[in-house]
Amino acid sequence: MISLDRVSFGYDERDTLSEVSIDVPPGSFHFLTGPSGAGKTTLLKLLYLDHLPRRGRLKLFGEDPATLERRRIPQLRRRIGVVFQEFRLLEHMTVVQNIALPLRVAGHRLDDYQADVMELVKWVGLNARIDAYPRELSAGEKQRAAIARAVINSPDLILCDEPTGNVDPEMGARILRLLIELNRLGKTVLIATHDLGLIRSARGGVGARILRLADGRLTLGAAEL
Amino acid sequence: MARWFRFARAAEAPPIVPMSGWSAPLTTLASAAMSFLAVLTLIAGLAADRLAEDWRQDLAGLATVRVSAEPEVLETRVMRALEVVRTAPGIAAARVLSEAEHLALIAPWIGGVEALEALPAPRLIDLTLEGDGPDAARLQSRLDRDAPGAVYDDHAAWRGPLARAAAAVGRLAWAATVLVMLAACAMVALAAQATLTAHLDIVRVIRLIGGEDRYIAGAFVRRLALRGLAGGMAGAGLALLALAALPGSGAGGVLGGLLPGTFGWIAIPIAVPLLTAAIAWATARASVRIALGRML
Ligand SMILES: Nc1ncnc2c1ncn2[C@@H]1O[C@H](COP(=O)(O)OP(=O)(O)OP(=O)(O)O)[C@@H](O)[C@H]1O
Ligand SMILES: [Mg+2]
Repeated sequence: MISLDRVSFGYDERDTLSEVSIDVPPGSFHFLTGPSGAGKTTLLKLLYLDHLPRRGRLKLFGEDPATLERRRIPQLRRRIGVVFQEFRLLEHMTVVQNIALPLRVAGHRLDDYQADVMELVKWVGLNARIDAYPRELSAGEKQRAAIARAVINSPDLILCDEPTGNVDPEMGARILRLLIELNRLGKTVLIATHDLGLIRSARGGVGARILRLADGRLTLGAAEL
Repeated sequence: MARWFRFARAAEAPPIVPMSGWSAPLTTLASAAMSFLAVLTLIAGLAADRLAEDWRQDLAGLATVRVSAEPEVLETRVMRALEVVRTAPGIAAARVLSEAEHLALIAPWIGGVEALEALPAPRLIDLTLEGDGPDAARLQSRLDRDAPGAVYDDHAAWRGPLARAAAAVGRLAWAATVLVMLAACAMVALAAQATLTAHLDIVRVIRLIGGEDRYIAGAFVRRLALRGLAGGMAGAGLALLALAALPGSGAGGVLGGLLPGTFGWIAIPIAVPLLTAAIAWATARASVRIALGRML
């Protein structure tokens, strides 16, 4: 699904990530931890093709984005659902419009997906807020809308950047249950978080691996929870 | 059913890039101004070209040789003069006007045919010129030698420089039209860049959730083209109204011959806005695609 072979990347001359190697098999569940500024978001950016590695080789779904034809990159991105750390909802669209956006961008007829969208909206507890704009939402509500947008298109790979950073433990647990459920359905899930409580609460629910980033280097944490 | 409508409307409604900011009305306004100017320069170009062509054609027929002499020698002088002009370069044909034609031509200036018959009337040779016409000085000196009393008169020749000037004005007007179009391209490219920059966050998100360049560019391009069309129609309409309101623009007015005909009044307000929209579409598309092409 994902393989990184000694991948390095940096925003300036120094490397933020250096020689990172991992192999994320299809259907697996990973936590990515590490102190603030360690490069968790940066690593996810490489995975959702916001940047290309500076050195080393990245493979996604068996393709190397660095050599892939440019016009095929959107197709690759559609197989990935991303919950951004700062949500990145579109401010001029309502909750339901934001959640349905990946369908629209992929050229689907929204009518065909009405039930799916409404079910997901209800599941993340936003059915009373579908016509609200992001600026009218609490941080936790934005987070839930962002999660719904990430999974609406039924992506093969789900990348979450601090998906429970702004919600109470109960909602955090519900979000985790959704992600575990999606993992059971065969989706590959990778969650960047420094919320150790979240990692602990996943225990028993899923066989997850923990990856630890520090000083730009990746180490494998306790192999299983 | 009601819920379905609500969903369809709610989920689909807004354009992927919001309509906001100053660049929207400014684009429409600038398109209107561009198309206003384009209509004026276009019509000026057409008018100048037509004027130059008319004057060039007038020039072709309107030279004469006037022969005056004692009645006894008049006929021979006329024959000699005819000989001279027929062999001169720049003259396609020459024809002696009959007395009746001649009288008809000058009677209005004199006050009646009766008054004229008493006068020793000169004879006229009507010339059809070709190219730039003959060298007037050389022709006159040959006439003086072979047919004294014969005077070459290219009274329409003053129109030559005018025709050339009109043609030059026409070329200027066409150049101005092209420049206005280029300015329109630059303006739309800037507007496209400004809109793209203003909404870069949105564009990035749409790309990351799998939006293709074509899809994103389409959102900008369609809108800019529509604004170009709306502004173009307004500008062309106003330009034509302004022209119609000029004094003397009616069918018989002094400007009547210079303004476009019925076809022009119909074709210009259709063609110019379409052209403005096409320019907006092509320029916006190219500049947005180039900008998107620089992103991963
Ligand atoms: N766009 C950028 N330009 C320059 N430097 C950046 C940029 N984004 C991140 N960095 C730097 O890269 C390093 C890693 O940042 P990153 O956001 O990946 O950390 P993180 O592990 O996600 O931290 P957090 O837990 O606080 O979200 C930091 O030192 C940060 O300052
Ligand atoms: Mg981060």
